[in-house]
Amino acid sequence: MNEPNLNCTNSKMRLETASVLVHKAINAIGQNKIKKGNLIWLELTGCSGNIISLLDGADPNFKNLATQMVNFIYDNSLMAAEGESAMEKLFGVIGNDFILAVEGAVSTKNDGLYNIIGRWRGQAVTAFDAIKMLGEKASYVVAVGTCASDGGISAARPNPAACVGTQNLLGRKVIKLPGCPCHPDWFLGTLAYILMFGEPALDDRNRPIMFYSTLIHDMCPRRPYFDQGIFASQLGEETCMFKLGCRGPVTRVDCPIRKWNNRVNWPIGDNSPCIGCAMFGFPDRMEPFISYDTTRKE
Amino acid sequence: MNDHEIFMNLIKNNISEMQDTIDSLYVSCNACTKNILLNRLRKNMSNLSMLVQGLQNSASASVGTGTYNPQQNSTRMFTTADLAKYNGKDGNPAYVAVNGTVYDVTNNAAWAAATHFGLTAGRDLTSEFTSCHAGQPVLSRLKVVGMMA
Repeated sequence: MNEPNLNCTNSKMRLETASVLVHKAINAIGQNKIKKGNLIWLELTGCSGNIISLLDGADPNFKNLATQMVNFIYDNSLMAAEGESAMEKLFGVIGNDFILAVEGAVSTKNDGLYNIIGRWRGQAVTAFDAIKMLGEKASYVVAVGTCASDGGISAARPNPAACVGTQNLLGRKVIKLPGCPCHPDWFLGTLAYILMFGEPALDDRNRPIMFYSTLIHDMCPRRPYFDQGIFASQLGEETCMFKLGCRGPVTRVDCPIRKWNNRVNWPIGDNSPCIGCAMFGFPDRMEPFISYDTTRKE
Repeated sequence: MNDHEIFMNLIKNNISEMQDTIDSLYVSCNACTKNILLNRLRKNMSNLSMLVQGLQNSASASVGTGTYNPQQNSTRMFTTADLAKYNGKDGNPAYVAVNGTVYDVTNNAAWAAATHFGLTAGRDLTSEFTSCHAGQPVLSRLKVVGMMA
């Protein structure tokens, strides 16, 4: 019951989207039809969960990205350089074409003083400074994860550091890939598309429709239970978790097909309600994540 | 143009979009394009299901009257205090009021556990509704249970 139907053309093609795009991009780069991109990955006010998630990618994986798709110029968690020389690499990219991937929200209180990402030429560089300096000059800005997209957990009440999403500070379009964390396929597929064709088709919230077009509820393997009004009354029951507060009906992304950790499982497949981590307003507006004293059964 | 005609026009538009999409699917050999087209079909299907439901509501409410008017269909009156009891907790149904009409959202998918984007049932949500769903045919899908006093 928890398996998506892969005889369905739609499901099967959606599952393969990222892999197809990445391999097309790698072939095109190998044949010199397109150039490798320069990639900067900024980790700002967040938990670094998105870069960890990216490392967990499988077909396409991180090695495809770092060795065949882009010149991965800067990421503070992964690069060998440190201190001033790392910052030289970061700001040395200005003047060249580069794609900026941002994870984490941007702390704005006291001119961004609550998140200093390094020191350059003797001066502290805040996340706020970095996003202003690099965000306006990048050829594309991709907000990776919910915090970079809309503030997310970093901007949850009471938001002491006045965190905001990347788009709030930039007067340009930011492609948003919300999710806590962002699935590696969503990022790698979007990046491959950008390298080959430019900006992908986006919805009204600037999310690529190839990944964010349908509600979890639309593709949920437990949907027949919802339609028949068979609801779980406690965690562990393998029926629809609507009455427990599942946010699948308002969350627009393709987790039911793609799943996580090398496509092993996903929250609903493991009897946990969707908490809407890929939807704007997460976490405050998706709470409560679980409810027991709820409506009557009909 | 009455509600019925509006629904019929929207349904016709959706069907015509679906026909175009299917034509495009036949000639497209690019997997990414196909994927986008299939997504578009799914969106049309979701729109159609919503419109058909709206049409059914409209038809059942307009028998003998010609137009759909929830006020004629339900006479139960709610005060703010009455409404507050229907908060979806402890086995109570979940009702919300918009523009003076009270709707049942107990089994509406977007109101899991009687909450919706941080809003709770049992309240008048007119201003919240207007700021998010103005112009969308969302209310036509909901069962009307009464009016605000």
